[in-house]
Amino acid sequence: MSNFEDADTEETVTCLQMTVYHPGQLQRGVFQSIRFYNREKFSSIEVLKFGRNSNICHYTFQDKQVSRVQFALQPFKQVNSSVLSFEIKNMSKKTSLIVDNQELGYLNKIDLPYRCMVRFGEYQFLLEKEDGESVDSFETQLILSSRPLLQENNWPPQNPIPEDGGYSSYLTESISPTEMDENEL
Amino acid sequence: MSDVSRQSRISSMERSLTVLQVSLYHPTLGSAAFANVPRQLQHDISRLLVGRGQDAHLRLQLPQLSRHHLSLEPYLEKGHTLLAFCLKVLSRKSCVWVNGLPLRYLEQAPLSTTNRISFSGIQMAVHIEGGASLEAFVCSFHFSPSPLIYRPKAEETDEWENIFEEEPPQALGELTPGLLGSLHGSSQTQTAVSSQALEEDQK
Repeated sequence: MSNFEDADTEETVTCLQMTVYHPGQLQRGVFQSIRFYNREKFSSIEVLKFGRNSNICHYTFQDKQVSRVQFALQPFKQVNSSVLSFEIKNMSKKTSLIVDNQELGYLNKIDLPYRCMVRFGEYQFLLEKEDGESVDSFETQLILSSRPLLQENNWPPQNPIPEDGGYSSYLTESISPTEMDENEL
Repeated sequence: MSDVSRQSRISSMERSLTVLQVSLYHPTLGSAAFANVPRQLQHDISRLLVGRGQDAHLRLQLPQLSRHHLSLEPYLEKGHTLLAFCLKVLSRKSCVWVNGLPLRYLEQAPLSTTNRISFSGIQMAVHIEGGASLEAFVCSFHFSPSPLIYRPKAEETDEWENIFEEEPPQALGELTPGLLGSLHGSSQTQTAVSSQALEEDQK
């Protein structure tokens, strides 16, 4: 009890949550090396690398179409800010990295907003930052999505398309709950 | 194909490396602070770590330096073809002055073509000579016997040796010729150098 009462006050930690999806994730096992839902803590001076090479990358994809180092994430501080920000850099010579609607070529980098979609090839990542007090370290948590993260990929191809080109709301699937009259099903 | 023509074809295919001309100065330790610094260092496009630690790429022998004090990381600005460099502070304890601006832990700033950087008593001038290669870059080190960064009105300070720690280098005065001879002391010049760097890269 005395250790608890005397200990230094803990600081909350910034968490970068990454929800990932790949259309072949079940058949091809591209994410089999990743421990989903596990919170990992990193020093704020680290550079996190994502790619195919397990000797270099913190997170590895079992996919020969992925570059040895695909992209890198690292925290930094905006001048006079008290919280951590993150930047992402494309490390692939072959594949562009798309951050929301910005296309990054090789060695291009961009600051990440609190919430954004990152894509390369068929890979989709929804990145969301939750601020914490600590600037010395941060955490990551990868979550596997069973459904595509992009709206346009939510259209199931086997469903009939109306002649007028319009879509009824019940044909859409989104990752957030939507209001729906059960009689429409 | 003859050996000479084959060699010239190979040379023309190799891309020139970006060179960082780095001048270093310490007011009291002199070149002893830079005993572990080679004359030239070639590095890939990962970040270059500067500090006291064994794993630092540029190791400086100063006890007040952090093991990882700062990093220089290459990247490409969108639409540009020459490497740019970003300096990031990795030291929790010290401030790093970059072209007159103080940066603290985890703060970062892009480098201009010519830069004056000071931290923990060290003065570092960095001049970037762009090369086409995106695989690696080279640091070429020079050890200056005289200060690289001056305050224009030194007679106003009481303690000459502390001005670089406590106050920012506000302007450049007379400098070692060659590397920084084109700079003149004004804050507007700092902005002009940054703009010039962008213009040169876009040509």
